[in-house]
Amino acid sequence: MPLTTRNSIGPIRTLLIVLCFAAAIDIGASWLLGKPGFGSHARIVFALLPIPANLALVAVIVRTIRQLDEFLRHVHLEAVAIAFLLTALAVSVYEDLQKARVVGPLNIGIMWIFMAVFYGVGYVIAVRHYR
Amino acid sequence: MKNRLRVLRAEKDWTQAQLAEIVGVSRHAVIAVENGKYDPALPLAFKLARAFGKTVEDVFVWEDGSLQEK
Repeated sequence: MPLTTRNSIGPIRTLLIVLCFAAAIDIGASWLLGKPGFGSHARIVFALLPIPANLALVAVIVRTIRQLDEFLRHVHLEAVAIAFLLTALAVSVYEDLQKARVVGPLNIGIMWIFMAVFYGVGYVIAVRHYR
Repeated sequence: MKNRLRVLRAEKDWTQAQLAEIVGVSRHAVIAVENGKYDPALPLAFKLARAFGKTVEDVFVWEDGSLQEK
């Protein structure tokens, strides 16, 4: 069961384009911040550079969700809820492991991976429930 | 909640995809409702009923006796 709107794949294509654009800017900004030789003002600009594209991504995702029918919205809502709870659990466990000095500081970038993987898990659970 | 979607759809000789197209939802929604896995909200219930020229009560059957007694 793909994330499809009821009428066309147009919104999905737009979502993927904006997602790739935002990811490219994120990677570019991160690459620039890793380079030495820039002043503090330039570094602030690089740090804030991804905001517009990521806000556009949020807007496109919200628009795409609103175009889904009620059933698909229901499925994705369950997937988001499961992803949210599992991510919170994972962060909590990671924090405890950190206190036990088993792992190092949490890399914020890893949170995206947690969220994406757990969203996938939640989606599969929701789809199987309604099959 | 039970429904008569499968029977009504068979009478019309419609596929799930055709019914989905008529009421403007995904085929997955029709499958889930038809299998009794998902209870639709009122707007979708009305759309499904009207697609067959029926009332909501003709298509969907509420089975909770305690509510009917009230």
